[in-house]
Amino acid sequence: MGITLFVILALLGLLAYGFSRDPRYITSPLIGRPAPTFTLTLFDGQTLSLEDLRGKVVFLNFWASWCPPCREEAREMESIWKNLKQKDTVFLGVNIQDTEPDAKNFLKQFGITYRNGRDMLGKISVDYGVWGIPETFFIDPQGQITYKHVGTLGWPIISAKLDEARRRVVSASEGKGSYQPIR
Amino acid sequence: MVKRVLITLWLLACVPTLSSGAQPTELEEQVRVIAADLRCPVCQNLSAADSPSELAQQMRAIIKSQLEEGKTPDQVRAFFVSKYGEWVLLSPTKSGFSLLVWVLPYLALAGGLIFVVFVIRRWARAKPNNQSKDLSPDLLQRIQKDLRADKAWDSKADIEGPHGPLFRERARLYTELRDLEFDYQAGRISKTDYEELRRGYEEQASVVLKELDTISPATLAEPAPESEPMGQTVTNPTSAGSRRTWIFPAIATFLLIFGVTLGVLLSNSLRTRTSTDDSITGDFLTGTSSQGDPSGSTVGAQDLPSLLAQGRGAFERQEWPKAIDAFKRILAMDANQPEANSYMGLILADAGHADSALTAFDRALSINPNYPLALLGSGMVLYRQKGDTDGGSQRLKKLLGTLPPGPEKEQLKKTIAEMGKGGDEGEGAVTQAGVPKESVQGAITGTIAMDPKLKSQQSGQGVLFIIARSAGTQGGPPLAVRRFERPAFPFKYSLGQDNTMIPGTQFKGKMVITARLDKDGNPVTRGAGDLTGAYKNNPVDVDSQKQVDIVLDQKTP
Repeated sequence: MGITLFVILALLGLLAYGFSRDPRYITSPLIGRPAPTFTLTLFDGQTLSLEDLRGKVVFLNFWASWCPPCREEAREMESIWKNLKQKDTVFLGVNIQDTEPDAKNFLKQFGITYRNGRDMLGKISVDYGVWGIPETFFIDPQGQITYKHVGTLGWPIISAKLDEARRRVVSASEGKGSYQPIR
Repeated sequence: MVKRVLITLWLLACVPTLSSGAQPTELEEQVRVIAADLRCPVCQNLSAADSPSELAQQMRAIIKSQLEEGKTPDQVRAFFVSKYGEWVLLSPTKSGFSLLVWVLPYLALAGGLIFVVFVIRRWARAKPNNQSKDLSPDLLQRIQKDLRADKAWDSKADIEGPHGPLFRERARLYTELRDLEFDYQAGRISKTDYEELRRGYEEQASVVLKELDTISPATLAEPAPESEPMGQTVTNPTSAGSRRTWIFPAIATFLLIFGVTLGVLLSNSLRTRTSTDDSITGDFLTGTSSQGDPSGSTVGAQDLPSLLAQGRGAFERQEWPKAIDAFKRILAMDANQPEANSYMGLILADAGHADSALTAFDRALSINPNYPLALLGSGMVLYRQKGDTDGGSQRLKKLLGTLPPGPEKEQLKKTIAEMGKGGDEGEGAVTQAGVPKESVQGAITGTIAMDPKLKSQQSGQGVLFIIARSAGTQGGPPLAVRRFERPAFPFKYSLGQDNTMIPGTQFKGKMVITARLDKDGNPVTRGAGDLTGAYKNNPVDVDSQKQVDIVLDQKTP
């Protein structure tokens, strides 16, 4: 009798644990590891390699024009960028699973001035294990990923995590906001 | 004419087919095997081999390129694990915590079997003998004494005599009692169960003993009458019970087999939808095959040649939906398949989606930088639709280098030369200095007006298409198309040689001229609210007539 009760309670506990988790959520193994290098062709035709940004804190944001949460955060991101411009920080947007005209319209619509490029074949996004956008990586001056955030970001987290990246503090876990699974 | 050009394109497409071979290679099979092990991060319940999502296509392309770089399948898997974690593996590694996933089901199965065995044993022992009888202490003592006696309870004569069944029943009950005692001492059975079962057996044994007491020693020796079958001479108190005990294992076995069969059937019959009209069940569950050919729930590398042939055939016959379906299925398997991407690019370019077309061509060129059809297609799209003469001629010059000498090469040389001149004139066109290009041979001009009745319903949005089709043809890409965004009516237009959809086609002869104001800007779909109109005196002989005015007077319901 006691054993039966124990087994039933254990199964119920397992079920409750399963229901409390987001089955879509994929925990990234990349935090604390070196950021995968890449070379990105920017919308203005120039190319940019992540290695060129060594010595700077990199805010790497994956987005698409069809993703509502990306639109939600776009304006705030640009205003944060404008305020941070003087400092030792680089904002870099990577457009994925999109068409060039749509992406350009998005940048125009939200008046984005930080550098953006298109990941045409999805190589960079797979390299960063991207699955829900907007997805943002904070990379420290030595090229190590210190924090990852799936979903929309606001000023408090961005400023705190940029500061941590500057000091090379690796976050224990990743953050989560409202996101859109990629296609 | 259109057909001739299409066949030329097809011939061009065959050039790499001959060299690289369209047969599914070992590499493709390897890609499929690895992708089948990886979970698609977007759809979660499908493998990267089965998922039609863009991400899964990109993953397959990455697997392919890594294998081509010489990585082993394990290294490729490890790459994806390093990006997405162990989560990405459909079959977790057999070590560490993941080992539990492999071991637990077997442990659960073994536990379940042990449980079933115990339950069945209990059922088999529990005789459905509910008439509680008072056991006489004498009989009980006799039973205890018999059990303790270390000898056979019956002589051979007893067993073979006419009352043999009674003796055998007594022996059976004694054996059960001994076994029960043993199980209880060994701790295999609880005290309550032990006492209950023991009482049942003792009651049965006392009945048998009483019965035996009534038999005189004289009758014991008489031979049994032959007509009397042994089992029926005595009412066996356990026969009904033992029959019932077998019902449960039988039901359990049936349920197990039923469950396993259902599981196997379902998992073999469910498939991913290949189109919105498709169903997720099929094959041997409902007998329906998946839409389109080759039929079957999954498209494997072995279907590639036939799908390619199917797509090419449909393209040649200008059956666009069929061609798109075939190429899409190939791309679901291999996102960068050069031939399928090239054809998709041509179809997309025809439909006016220059950027998507260029993406498709670029995919093809990423695998084979000299793929003729992709070079031709991207060159023409860059030149005609994007106005990038340099980019276009660069691609075509690259193509020129790969072509063997022949009429195609000559034709291509001419096209490149014309591009260099500004590219306004088609093959054989006579250039007249100082004459505007609209009035060059074959070009027409005119005004598109809006029916006053429909004017109020027009929002000022939309894309105007002016379409010329060779008289007598239906379906397929038109001879020439021009596209204008947000036109203001009345709208002046011209249509000529440089608006033809397929390079080398001549803008001459009789043609049907129509116009459509498309709400969503996609020329392939005809949505409600699109306004259309046709020239009153269609077909027009563009060699003699230059002025073609059209009124948009029809509304798509």
